[in-house]
Amino acid sequence: MNNMTLYVKKDSPVHLVDPLTKLLFTFFSITLTYIVSNHLAVLLILLCTFTILVAGKVFKYILPVIGVSFLLILSIIIVQGFFHPDRETLLFEVGPIPIYKEGFSIAFLITLRVVNMVSAFGVLILTTKPDDLVNALLRKGLSPRFGYVLLSVLQIIPQMIALTGKITDAQRARGMETEGGLWLRFKSFIPLLGPVILNSLNETRERSIALEIRGFNAKGPRTYLHKHETYRYGLHLKILLTVIFVAVVVWRFVS
Amino acid sequence: MKSMWSLKLSTAALVLIPAAIGINYLGKLFASLLKLPLWVDSIGTVLASMLAGPIVGAIAGIVNNVVYGFTTDPVSFVYAITSAVIGLVTGIMAYKGWISNIGKAIVLGLAVGFIAATVSTPLNIIFWEGTTGNIWGDALFATMLAQDMPLWLASFADSIVVDVPDKVVTVLLSFLIFKGLPKNVKNMYDNTGEIERI
Repeated sequence: MNNMTLYVKKDSPVHLVDPLTKLLFTFFSITLTYIVSNHLAVLLILLCTFTILVAGKVFKYILPVIGVSFLLILSIIIVQGFFHPDRETLLFEVGPIPIYKEGFSIAFLITLRVVNMVSAFGVLILTTKPDDLVNALLRKGLSPRFGYVLLSVLQIIPQMIALTGKITDAQRARGMETEGGLWLRFKSFIPLLGPVILNSLNETRERSIALEIRGFNAKGPRTYLHKHETYRYGLHLKILLTVIFVAVVVWRFVS
Repeated sequence: MKSMWSLKLSTAALVLIPAAIGINYLGKLFASLLKLPLWVDSIGTVLASMLAGPIVGAIAGIVNNVVYGFTTDPVSFVYAITSAVIGLVTGIMAYKGWISNIGKAIVLGLAVGFIAATVSTPLNIIFWEGTTGNIWGDALFATMLAQDMPLWLASFADSIVVDVPDKVVTVLLSFLIFKGLPKNVKNMYDNTGEIERI
């Protein structure tokens, strides 16, 4: 049932790093690829991200995640390659279709950026349990009520999917058709979704009563069930990341 | 009446947020299961805005994209702002009475789609030079670029043809579901009314 997270449990140095440091890395890595518009520099950043993924022993798990964005990447390559407004230099022709150098150069750059964006998030997502990340944010001052909202989503969605299965079966047993033409499929949308929604809204009432009984709105400091994990190299890595980030930004605007 | 901008969220309104995200997820799941040519991935956000106002709607929108980014597709982080705006616009217009009948609900859908496209366009241009990853929209984008129209216009048209039909359908579905909800459910999240003391 617990398939709502991409976290992969492995024993690696990347897993031991503080979640907030990884969050900082993700942010810097993505921002840098959009500040720098030099192919080689972006490729270098992407290689850095890949190296971290390999060090975290999770490189093969990022490939399906990149695959989700495949359609976006494909349309970027096709559309920009053929139709970018700055098209001038003819690269080569495939039959009657001309392919331009400028468009392909830009398409290549954007593809690198998209792959880096997905991979940089992968560093965070694949090596960090959502609980640990929210826990780290709570210790930095995130409201515990809001922390609950973030984490409960991951529990509620599998429950709702299970409920949906039940309701689909029940409606089919009553003779509702879910296969056929577009209009027929469209009509079955409300009888399927309606009961699930009503049920989950009703559940929120019970859940909020249960939460309030247990002191959800209590003021004052909270305690933690799990003891504070000690992460390694937190501060050093944060300083290192910030120095690299500032250096690249300065280099970009000076040169 | 308190204003719709109250930031003091009741427990029920907070618990509504994960439920809304679950509904978004199911809408998307059903749309792909029934092979509908739309996303229909913001029913929950729209419903939450109708039930509990723009603030809850906007938070539900942002958290939705963050959680979806964490669990399936990191690209959705980019569109967190669009989701927030969808929640805001629906919440404000619903509060002003734009969900009183089906005609107004269609206008609300058009407005939400138009504004969502306007917010998405700069994001699409900054992050991927204007494409959206939707086949129909991108085909139009390519045709317009081929006729030497400006990039921003082509990208805006790309977003419009995808977002407007999708949001009209989403808002209509949410409206039908909202109208069918029993009164005690509708009143649960409403923190605008005063509690009557006996």
